[in-house]
Amino acid sequence: MNRISQKAMQGWASLGPRFLPFADVATEDLPLSRLLRLSLFQVSVGMALVLLIGTLNRVMIVELAVPASLVGVMIALPIVFAPFRALIGFKSDVHTSALGWRRVPFIWRGTMLQFGGLAVMPFALLVLAGQGQAATAPVWIGYVGAGIAFLLVGAGLHMVQTVGLALATDLAPVEDQPKVVGLMYVMLLAGMIVSALVFGQALEDFSPGRLIQVIQASAVATLVLNVLALWKMEARTRRPADVKTEAPDFSRSWDVLIRSGNAKRRLAVVGLGTLGFGMADVLLEPYGGQVLALSVADTTKLTAVLALGSLLGFAWASRVLGRGFDPLLMAGYGALLGVPGFIAICLAAPLAWPLLFVGGTALIGFGAGLFGHGTLTATMQLAPREQIGLALGTWGAVQATTAGIGIAAGSVLRDIILALPIGSRFGAATPYLSVYVLEILFLIAALAVIAPLLRRPQPSLSAS
Amino acid sequence: MNYDPDKVWPSGLTIGEAEELHRHIIDGTRVFGFIAVLAHILAYVYTPWFG
Repeated sequence: MNRISQKAMQGWASLGPRFLPFADVATEDLPLSRLLRLSLFQVSVGMALVLLIGTLNRVMIVELAVPASLVGVMIALPIVFAPFRALIGFKSDVHTSALGWRRVPFIWRGTMLQFGGLAVMPFALLVLAGQGQAATAPVWIGYVGAGIAFLLVGAGLHMVQTVGLALATDLAPVEDQPKVVGLMYVMLLAGMIVSALVFGQALEDFSPGRLIQVIQASAVATLVLNVLALWKMEARTRRPADVKTEAPDFSRSWDVLIRSGNAKRRLAVVGLGTLGFGMADVLLEPYGGQVLALSVADTTKLTAVLALGSLLGFAWASRVLGRGFDPLLMAGYGALLGVPGFIAICLAAPLAWPLLFVGGTALIGFGAGLFGHGTLTATMQLAPREQIGLALGTWGAVQATTAGIGIAAGSVLRDIILALPIGSRFGAATPYLSVYVLEILFLIAALAVIAPLLRRPQPSLSAS
Repeated sequence: MNYDPDKVWPSGLTIGEAEELHRHIIDGTRVFGFIAVLAHILAYVYTPWFG
């Protein structure tokens, strides 16, 4: 090899790493700028969630005139993948890679699935609605196409969020974890709020072409945000390629995790609390409109009040937990605050006092913020170092499944109770009040389950 | 920069690393190929030949 090509080679070698998505050196501290960049994956997840649950829900029913029951089925499809979060997290824990990556390949695959689903989505929806020439085509093409699109987006977002949170846990030192959790939640919420506003604005004058533009733009945004979040984020661990470590199987790891640190009890708390807080989400606006006779503009502001309460909750929990407060106790406080919140909302109807309703909504948002932050921080802190993906995957599986069930159950229960003979014994508020009382019961159940965990000090926390 | 006999120039990756990246590229192409086919079928059902 002559001197010139050798020089050129060295040039390439020194230039190369800057343009490759590797972080060869694991840094001890995690600066805020890097953390903010990592949290961009939560923005893309929030965007996909808003698109599925909010924007497309409305667009399919109102603009595309798809039957509401069919829309409900399609929107529920992504929840099918929620329980698989535990498996995905486990896979990322034991992933062996010559490149020394555990999390990046999974986030990348998840990003691809989410991108692909969103890319197909607008055509699938238009065919599902029988627009254009699709009215003459067999109906099943629309069903299958839309089903695949929703499944792809759902699989992608569950994968990205699970493994992304695991990566964040890998990177953050234990004392920074409350800060990281707070930031992740805030970015999820910010992604949801901003994209809801942008989607609403962009679809103001609806046309099929505009729908294609908006959804495919969100597909591109997913790819851009997630690549930005991933870039040079995970350090490469170098293991000699010839040493094949025996990968533990899923059931054994699962047994180890589920026996450690009252994991079953904590998961039950997550499920009960999420159900308790989650069922009201879709009922707050119709309750305000039908029972308290608030205008559409006012009820939309209610959702903003709920989000603002959650933001305050995340911020306060980050501050307090950052000083070493017990995260499970924080989750308990969150559930405890939810009870008076729902009582206030219930009393707002007989007292005809909308201000009490707004206050109760803010309190529920605040309580849900504390609860979510507390349970996720506890999961991160108690996760065994080699089982981070599995632990966070399990948390996410329980949380996402119960949140999905809660949203579905909230509206289904309202309709069922409305159809019952006693459906309007206490006026128009009856079905709503029944659901709110049920939520209070769920929160009290969560408190009862969490209480034994609070008396004993957590040994792994005092050690750090 | 140290000389590592496993590394293949000009990329500076080892054989194992290069094969893994290659596998990702092949997988990605397959997934996107499937998605592109699906999108084309649906677009054709919606507007055949953009008629």
